[in-house]
Amino acid sequence: MARDFITPKGDEGIYQIDTASWRTYKPVMDKDICVECGICLTYCPVNSIHKENEKYIIDLSYCKGCGICANECPKKAIDMVTEGDK
Amino acid sequence: MNYIELLDKKPDLVTPGTSACQGCPAELSLRATLKVLGENTIMCIPPGCMAGAGCVGWNFDSGLKVPVHITLLDNTAAVLTGINEAHGRDVTVAAFAGDGATSDCGFQSLSATAERGENVIYICYDNEGYMNTGFQRSGSTTKGSMTSTTPVGEVGKGKEQQKKDLPLIMAMHNPAYLATLSPSHMSDFVKKMEKAKSIKDGFVYLHIFSPCPTGWGFDGAKSIEVARKAVETNIFPLYEVDHGEYKLTVPNKNPKPVSELFGMMKKFRHVSEQGIQDVQNYVDKKYKTLQALVGQE
Repeated sequence: MARDFITPKGDEGIYQIDTASWRTYKPVMDKDICVECGICLTYCPVNSIHKENEKYIIDLSYCKGCGICANECPKKAIDMVTEGDK
Repeated sequence: MNYIELLDKKPDLVTPGTSACQGCPAELSLRATLKVLGENTIMCIPPGCMAGAGCVGWNFDSGLKVPVHITLLDNTAAVLTGINEAHGRDVTVAAFAGDGATSDCGFQSLSATAERGENVIYICYDNEGYMNTGFQRSGSTTKGSMTSTTPVGEVGKGKEQQKKDLPLIMAMHNPAYLATLSPSHMSDFVKKMEKAKSIKDGFVYLHIFSPCPTGWGFDGAKSIEVARKAVETNIFPLYEVDHGEYKLTVPNKNPKPVSELFGMMKKFRHVSEQGIQDVQNYVDKKYKTLQALVGQE
């Protein structure tokens, strides 16, 4: 039977683990070099990069510290620094 | 809306903290997929990395913000058919399965679903092995790969058979739409996913290349680089088949030698010159077949 079916959203209290605790290195963005291209956002597997007030920012709450953003940044504006150094 | 805006603005329908490995491109692909498919979607995820990473949920919690079923390895496509029959065509029904669940265990139900032309989307993320259980070989593993079931020693020299060309096998089922995707080419990825969502007259098959840092033995930061290299060397050409029309979406006039990809990871470290040449010949032959299908020699 065809009907106007909208699937229900999952519970907001969803399963999640604290992946931020895995991190050895954390990404630090140098805003002087960054050209706001958004390449880092497209490749972040954890969806930790967002645009706020026309600027890309890294939210570290779930960042696993994989380093893809630093590796893919065309301007090399992202550095991986040891957790706790900065 | 260009693809970067889309990936930024659309709600992320995957739990923020999944236990996928650092730098896992399959996690990236799943998030991007659900951003495009949207909230009106029902997912089926068979056992594999994405199920193991908690996307199907544990102990009454869900790992996705849309309904998700954990199917069996061998009936994923059949479950899609059932869900589609129950809900009609207003809801997008999609599977996100690994290459083991697609090319080996689940192939009979996938083939039957494609043959019947059900209006569902079947997405395979190809990490070339059963990574979730410790990198056993699958039909989709590249020749020469060291895996836990094809170890390297005095006698064994990695997998002896060539990779099963699953996208082309599925193309021969005449689906409404088929495409190969790579997380390194995100604009192309989003475009194909949007097209897949819009197809309402038959079966859709999508094949995503997904390098595995943990199993293949390379730094997680290089996942996207490896995926890009696979496209540049023609090991994983990007094309689409829209109702029988073949098209190379990222044409590659000057392919790089496959040895460039082989040098990037541990699983190919032992492969001899002859072994690399075997894979190079196979890749060249496959690309010629593809060019013939596209209609350009």
